[in-house]
Amino acid sequence: MTRPRFDELIHPSTRLTLVAMLAAADWAEFGYLRDELGLSDSALSKQLAALEEAGYVATERRADRGRRRVRARLTPAGRSAYDGHVAALRAIVGLDAGYGSGGASPARS
Amino acid sequence: MTTAPDEAAAALAAVRRARERVAGQVGLPRLYWWGMAAGWLALGAIGDLGPEWLITVATVLFGAAHSMIASHLLDGRQRTDGLRVSAAVAGHRTPVVVIGMLVALVALTVGLALGLDADGAGHPSIWAAAIVAPVVGFGGPEILQALRRLVRA
Repeated sequence: MTRPRFDELIHPSTRLTLVAMLAAADWAEFGYLRDELGLSDSALSKQLAALEEAGYVATERRADRGRRRVRARLTPAGRSAYDGHVAALRAIVGLDAGYGSGGASPARS
Repeated sequence: MTTAPDEAAAALAAVRRARERVAGQVGLPRLYWWGMAAGWLALGAIGDLGPEWLITVATVLFGAAHSMIASHLLDGRQRTDGLRVSAAVAGHRTPVVVIGMLVALVALTVGLALGLDADGAGHPSIWAAAIVAPVVGFGGPEILQALRRLVRA
């Protein structure tokens, strides 16, 4: 069972959506995240930089068919923080806090 | 900072939507379905026009090629090069759904060919493949999504 732990860094809505998407994936390309979140390149870079600085996200730069691509993934620390944050949110709304990103989806609210 | 229950509920809804958006990416690349459709047509044509040895060789080659490609794709976690869906979100039933769908489409093709043959149509295998191949090529991703929802894969 995940211990509820509210995380101020993850909580802002755009960042929460970004982390939730990364939690559901092994990795995601910068372009995919930018398009899904409707952010500019610089706005997404800032969000990723903040999460990377906290050790929640790791980015990998690589060349693919002559284009430079950035791939982001959640680190174990980021996954743990995300699980704790979701558990804290569930506790606030009075739901069972037992939730992990590797298993069941959060209950509908 | 304190968070109100309604704010927490909205955040949980955003989490759920984000997860569903990623889960919606589960599937196989469009190129896979077009390749299957082309193979369907080729096997249909060979079945009607080719010698028996060629039918056997083509079927074995098609099966082997599909096995090689499918071993990387059938889990449905990388439909695009934009992301790789986690195993927990993708689930473990997608390969079974794809194989079941292909078996059903093969049965449909064979059934159609037998029906056309009984009706006296010329080149029944080609016609049957020509009917089913567009279903595979155009509708493969959508049929797979519908079947995944049906079996909650």
